[in-house]
Amino acid sequence: MIFLSFFKTLVGKEIAVELKNDVVMTGTLHSVDQYLNIKLLNVKVVNPDKYPQLVALQNCFVRGSVVRYIQIPPEHVDTELLQDAARKENAPAK
Amino acid sequence: MEEPLDLIRLSIDERVYVKCRGDRELRGRLHAYDQHLNMILGEVEETVTSTEIDDETDEEIVRKQTRQVGMLFVRGDIVVLLGDI
Amino acid sequence: MASSIQEWKGKAICVVTSDGRTIMGDLVGNDQVQNVILEDAQERIYSNDAPVETVELGLYVIRGDNVCMIADYDKEKLVDTAAPPLPTILQQQH
Repeated sequence: MIFLSFFKTLVGKEIAVELKNDVVMTGTLHSVDQYLNIKLLNVKVVNPDKYPQLVALQNCFVRGSVVRYIQIPPEHVDTELLQDAARKENAPAK
Repeated sequence: MEEPLDLIRLSIDERVYVKCRGDRELRGRLHAYDQHLNMILGEVEETVTSTEIDDETDEEIVRKQTRQVGMLFVRGDIVVLLGDI
Repeated sequence: MASSIQEWKGKAICVVTSDGRTIMGDLVGNDQVQNVILEDAQERIYSNDAPVETVELGLYVIRGDNVCMIADYDKEKLVDTAAPPLPTILQQQH
């Protein structure tokens, strides 16, 4: 659940979601759930000339399974905290 | 250490190489991962390799495009391989 | 669930499917796995050499597996010009 907790700390921040069909959407992170489905507010499609289908979209639910990458503003990430959480999350079972 | 994923734990805060589906390669610092191989990488360089066929000569042209991303979440289901660099 | 689409019930939404189609309609119902029921649904078909073609679908159910994005949209901003269809998301072979 490390990434669920992580993305919850980014609520309200601007992120860019790159889908497996190469579409990139930017928007304000509104919420995230256990499947890493995410909801973005006031989305903008990057490269609107290429994807006119998507320019009218406003608030957008993105299914976690179609996500390839999510670009995160580095200044909002405490990497030390994240690494510690990852070590704890993945501690070998005794 | 018994399982493959235990090995990845040792790479936290190290620079890693990640091969992904769709002829994509990533190099970056591993900050976090989980059992699905979802990951967060910092100071990432992504390389996408594409091949085109030249219409006239029928030769394959291999093109590599790279870009830099400061902080990237990578969904585990596209990950093929993870290694140290 | 955090990223619920419930709040769009009764409203006009756009569903982008993983095979690259865009289907608009009024959300009648949905569940936890993004199965959606649309009323007065219509597909907006984009092609390279013709303006958008709209096909009436009526009452329509989309299975959650095939959902890529669900969003509300600004009717004023819909683009009807010719455009390449959205790329599909290839189904993963597990």
